[in-house]
Amino acid sequence: MPGKRMTFVEALVEGIREEMRRDPNVFVLGQDIGPFGGSLRSTLGLWEEFGPARIFDTPISESAAAGVCLGAALEGLRPILDISFGEFLASAMPQLVLHAPVVHWLTLGKARVPLTIRTKVGEGPYGGHPQCFEAWFTHVPGLKVVMPSTPADAKGLMKAAIRDDDPVLFFEHMYLYHGVRDVVPDGEHLVPIGRAEVKRPGKDVTVAATAWMVHRALQAAHQFAAEGIEVEVLDLRTLAPLDTATLLASVRKTGRLVVAHEAWKIGGLGAEVAATVAEQAFGSLRAPIVRVGAPHTPVPAHPTIRRAFLPDAQGIADAVHAVMKYAA
Amino acid sequence: MIEDVKQVLAMHRLMVQSRVLDEACCEESAHWFPSQGEEAVPVGTFYGLRPDDVCAPAYRGAPIVYLMRGMTLEQVWAGALGKRTSFGRGRHFSFTAPIELRVFPYIAGDLGPIISQATGAAFAQRYRKSDAVTAVSFGDGTSNRGDFHEAVNLGAAWRLPIVYVIQNNHWAISMPIEKATAAKRLADRAAGYGIPGVAVDGNDVLAVHTAVQEAVRRARAGHGPTLIEAETFRMRGHIAADTASYRAPEEVEEWRGRDPIQRLEARLADAGVLSAEDAQAVWAEAAQEVGEAKAAAQRHPDILPTDLGLDEMFATPLREA
Repeated sequence: MPGKRMTFVEALVEGIREEMRRDPNVFVLGQDIGPFGGSLRSTLGLWEEFGPARIFDTPISESAAAGVCLGAALEGLRPILDISFGEFLASAMPQLVLHAPVVHWLTLGKARVPLTIRTKVGEGPYGGHPQCFEAWFTHVPGLKVVMPSTPADAKGLMKAAIRDDDPVLFFEHMYLYHGVRDVVPDGEHLVPIGRAEVKRPGKDVTVAATAWMVHRALQAAHQFAAEGIEVEVLDLRTLAPLDTATLLASVRKTGRLVVAHEAWKIGGLGAEVAATVAEQAFGSLRAPIVRVGAPHTPVPAHPTIRRAFLPDAQGIADAVHAVMKYAA
Repeated sequence: MIEDVKQVLAMHRLMVQSRVLDEACCEESAHWFPSQGEEAVPVGTFYGLRPDDVCAPAYRGAPIVYLMRGMTLEQVWAGALGKRTSFGRGRHFSFTAPIELRVFPYIAGDLGPIISQATGAAFAQRYRKSDAVTAVSFGDGTSNRGDFHEAVNLGAAWRLPIVYVIQNNHWAISMPIEKATAAKRLADRAAGYGIPGVAVDGNDVLAVHTAVQEAVRRARAGHGPTLIEAETFRMRGHIAADTASYRAPEEVEEWRGRDPIQRLEARLADAGVLSAEDAQAVWAEAAQEVGEAKAAAQRHPDILPTDLGLDEMFATPLREA
């Protein structure tokens, strides 16, 4: 496929740039997104192209920023709200969970909220603001939640989110931001919301993962190939609503499931994935489902205990070994 | 001085209609939010705005604003009675109105977020280079929330075309404003945002209307927001079923003597534009209209279990794999 290589964040910004060129109702609003270029360069170049008529630097007021975007969306604009870091979503919760997701249903479809909320989570180059609270939002009816793992998906999902007429919460993983460079297809590249993707096919065990853990699962899968174990790596990509069809099809083929995410294991997305499979594909399972996630402490600061905290390829490999002990 | 008689009579009629409707709704529903005694604030604030202006009225007393924007009494009753014809078809309480009337709906039960949503409407008006404005009202209790601070600060910093009106009725459920803040006047908070703050008698509909219209002119001319505090009083409990046993009856009786409708009628009688008989006719007509609308709405179909709307969560459906 013809394309060009770019980093994850370059792909995100290119997606936003193309949609802003396409539709004058699209604007970006958030903290330090103007001349500063966005934290971790999340909006680099947009200010230079679109200026103060389309790029709005706000004071430190996440709640008001979210409310302003919701109000503007009700008036027919298509806001992109840049919440610097996922931890700050907590400051805007009423707008994000009580208000924006409800409007379409409440108004019998007369009002729409074409709002994209982008934010950064996870391990990153500076290690700051790493907490992954995405599972909170998958619990909320009316929100679409996406979390890509590759530059191509980052761009394609960002364009789909901006064109979507519902609120879409877009989680951008900071380790991937500048750490992953890959081919992004040329031309109009859209990735549909609500679709998982098999990143590596295999017949023995499914590893369903998100964001950085997709890369760690692929790393583990590569090692298992040498042992003759074929691991299928499924990138969930959209966390809500879950692509249960693709998930169930994979588990029905392999009969074993490991779920891996960087967020806490307890009450995490993995619990929903595991429950869905247990409810709907129990007969296909040849082994108990194993979840890989963070232990139940806050994310520590120092690199030594940070490494001890973060789920890694070894953790995923241990989980795969555990489920492979159950014979067909 | 009554400068525009037709306009003042119209506002009088709306206040009477609001009172009659509110009393009837309180009888109908123990969970209704009574607005009796506060009518001058919603009527004075939202009267005379243009169809392209956005209104975000406080939930207490909001139905009269919906009527001012073009909703019918029968539609309001359909909501109050929980009929299938109601806006929202039973998915929310009735203090929401059709968005196409440029009224921002009350989406959830928490207070404050609508202040920044209204600020977003003003943002959109600016974005589109329109000279439309937004007016938002909310209670004194809501003005203690962080939403108030963030929204008013942002609206002021960006000089957005919006008017913020505090409907200070002295009580946030059981919390009196004197115990909720050390500020003497809520309008004084405007100084902290660098915008004009205006305190008005919230039981004087002409004073409210004059202050809001001046703020609307400022906003339309691009001079940014104004914060208006309209001081009134919540004559009943927080909801119809609340007996408000936590406050002194003397306080309520004192405010009963300042009833905004009686005061306006006395003033209109003095000016010779509304006789006692004329006023009686307005009350009788309102009672008849409200009663007829209720009777009509009672015949509307009831909500069905299928109105839950399982397949109506999203505007953009997910593509099947």
